[in-house]
Amino acid sequence: MRTRTLLTSAACGVVAVLGLAPAASAQSWRTVTMSRQLSGESQLDVEVNYGAGRFTVRPNDEGLLYDMELRYDEDVFEPVADFDGRRLELGVDNVGHNIHVGKGKSQGEMNLSLARGVPMDLTLEFGAVRAQLDLGGLALTDLDLSTGASESTLDVSELNSRRIRSASLEVGAADFTARHLGNLNADHIDVDAGVGKVSLWLNGEWQRDATVSIDMGLGKLELRIPEGLGIRLTKDSFLTSLDSEGLVKRGDSYYSLDWDEATRKVSIDLDAAFGTVDVIWVR
Amino acid sequence: MHMRSHKTALTGLTLIAAFLAAPLGAQERTVLSKAVSVGRSEASLELEFQDQERLDIALRDGSVYIDDQVVGAYQAGDDLDAAFRALLGQAVALDDGELADMLVAWTPPDDLPADRKALADSIDSSLERALTRPAQDAAATSETRSIRVEGSNDSRLLGALLSQAGRLGFLEEALSGLDDVQIHVQEDVTVDEGETVEGALLVVGGDVSIAGVVTGDVVVVDGTLELEETGEIQGDVRLADARFDRAGGSLRGEIRDLSEEEGTTVTNGRDVREMRDQIRSEIRDELRSELRNELRGRNDFSLGSGILNPFRGLFRAIGGLLENVVTIFLLGLVGMGIIAFAPRNLDAVAETARRAPGRAATVGLAGTFLLLPVYVLGMVALAISIVGIPVLIAWIPLFPLAAVAAGILGYVAVARNVGEWLSDSGYRYTDWIRRSNAVYTVFGGLLGLGLFFLVAEALHVVPFSGFFRGIFAFAGFVVTFAAVMVGFGSVLLTRAGRRPEFYPMDPEEAWRQAVDPELDDMDVGTEDPPDTATSGAGTDGAAKEDES
Repeated sequence: MRTRTLLTSAACGVVAVLGLAPAASAQSWRTVTMSRQLSGESQLDVEVNYGAGRFTVRPNDEGLLYDMELRYDEDVFEPVADFDGRRLELGVDNVGHNIHVGKGKSQGEMNLSLARGVPMDLTLEFGAVRAQLDLGGLALTDLDLSTGASESTLDVSELNSRRIRSASLEVGAADFTARHLGNLNADHIDVDAGVGKVSLWLNGEWQRDATVSIDMGLGKLELRIPEGLGIRLTKDSFLTSLDSEGLVKRGDSYYSLDWDEATRKVSIDLDAAFGTVDVIWVR
Repeated sequence: MHMRSHKTALTGLTLIAAFLAAPLGAQERTVLSKAVSVGRSEASLELEFQDQERLDIALRDGSVYIDDQVVGAYQAGDDLDAAFRALLGQAVALDDGELADMLVAWTPPDDLPADRKALADSIDSSLERALTRPAQDAAATSETRSIRVEGSNDSRLLGALLSQAGRLGFLEEALSGLDDVQIHVQEDVTVDEGETVEGALLVVGGDVSIAGVVTGDVVVVDGTLELEETGEIQGDVRLADARFDRAGGSLRGEIRDLSEEEGTTVTNGRDVREMRDQIRSEIRDELRSELRNELRGRNDFSLGSGILNPFRGLFRAIGGLLENVVTIFLLGLVGMGIIAFAPRNLDAVAETARRAPGRAATVGLAGTFLLLPVYVLGMVALAISIVGIPVLIAWIPLFPLAAVAAGILGYVAVARNVGEWLSDSGYRYTDWIRRSNAVYTVFGGLLGLGLFFLVAEALHVVPFSGFFRGIFAFAGFVVTFAAVMVGFGSVLLTRAGRRPEFYPMDPEEAWRQAVDPELDDMDVGTEDPPDTATSGAGTDGAAKEDES
């Protein structure tokens, strides 16, 4: 018998409670659970859109292509789950004219799990959300992440089994943290941040030398770099302070002390307008 | 009679059906995807099977739907609603085999009221029928060869029925109450004129044409039944995934659509589904019509559709004109306030708008586009510094207010210029605008700027003038947009009139005008700042030029 996850049980309880008391809430909240069995998919384009609320993504171990739990205001949104064999589109669409903003109004939630091992080009677009994204274990061949005003954490907790040529992380006005970026297995990572605080953890298993481009508008950038990883930082900034502890300047770039001996090297091109850049070394 | 029939007893068929159904019932279909939706007014279950077929069951807004067909009614929170939601509560945590097992095993609670129990049984049977139906074999379904049941070859009959195993659920219902049945599987049947078939006639996967007499029921599964002009069916017609084309003839019983699990009587021979679709279409059209009428009634200020309809255009025109006049009046009041409390600022802005309208419009346009970025960047810049947070509290409401105030100041300044121009123009109806009084020029200018809108509203009284109303409304929009851009740009260039770009006149020129009231027009001085500040001559008095 298949093991039930705690999350699924909790969702079951939520559905039961919400369902048996249909008139308890004044707002038109709806809870939807959608899932689809794996049926030999080989390569997918997966696009996930979510507007506002809590948003989680994690890998799925239960033989499902996806398992999505949504709680949304049915006056404003409608769920989307389209699959044509090659392209999978998940999330919500805005159908209403009014979006409730304010305390107690944006309690929507989307919990999504995606199949491990199925190669996929993953596009994640979300707006004003609190996101917890664990992409570890997914077989990503491409990653495009775009977020608006959010508080988001991206974690690649396990090594991506596929190689990504270029991963794109586009962050608006956000508090954004990305951990284990080395596990993305990407040749190039492009980070475009508007306003806010961005923390990039360059830990993980780097499979080869890589480049990271960071375009930062206004705010604070935190680079957490594991000891032993060779770093070359090239900065092109206007009014940006750089705390370059552990880096030495050679020519136009800053280098880690062990740059020449490092087995894996990451070159960072930083273009920042206003703000601060902190380099923090972690064991 | 061209029938190739095999006559058998009902008991024999029932035994075969039972024999077939037993092993198939244990073979649930693969559930490829599921969607469980629970809201205040809806609880639904959507299943998609491996063979692309679907089953949708929903309790929505008081109606019970099975595959988008209404099968009954319920009330939110009643026993049926609760029972179905409890079922969904179990379904949400299961997938594929376990989900199918659970759904097949589900039985409605025994304590449901009779009507709700019947609906719950319908849901239950739909689930069982969908989940125990084996997947359609593409090769088998696309097979076009005809299998004929001949003589008493039971093995051929068994084979033919096996190929139609997906329809055994219908067969059980189709055969209920029948005593003597002729069975035809995957073959066409014709009852010629003058022929009589004793008992019931069952055709699975074939077409039937009846010009003779059938003394019992006619049951058609996955086929077409044609009742010719001379044909007679003394029993009922039972259809499952079948069409009924009636060219005449006699039907003593009624028509039942087994796939819908509901009886439907057709009197004119048309197909049941066509009739149902037509009824739905009529209901839909009626609802749309009512909705349109309701919306029309709202737009007509609740005047209804009675005798006041001919005056609708007049009422609209009066309403629109009043709306515009009130707007102009309110803007005029604001203009009077500006004249009273900030005449020099108004002079400076108006002078810039008059002397450099192109530059002002460009700046206004650019400023309009930059408003939002400046607002947001200002908030961010203030938010990230502790010192800036108190300022941020004021910034959030005051910046939009300042932008609106700048727009109004600019518009009033442009209106004053327009009023002065109208005053000088000598038009017949602009005599009342006294150039020497800024209040008159502001009101006159506001009326002038809003003239296109006023005409557009007034045209409501003229029938079929929609096109011209649109033209005038568009012209009004262009004029207003240009005035706002020029005015806003002038406000930005002069820092709200605090730093004049152009000075109304040279001080010496002002002195000459003061001592010579006969001057007719004004020479607008120089762009170089004078040593001493000048008062707003344009507001306080008439500017006259020394022609000598």
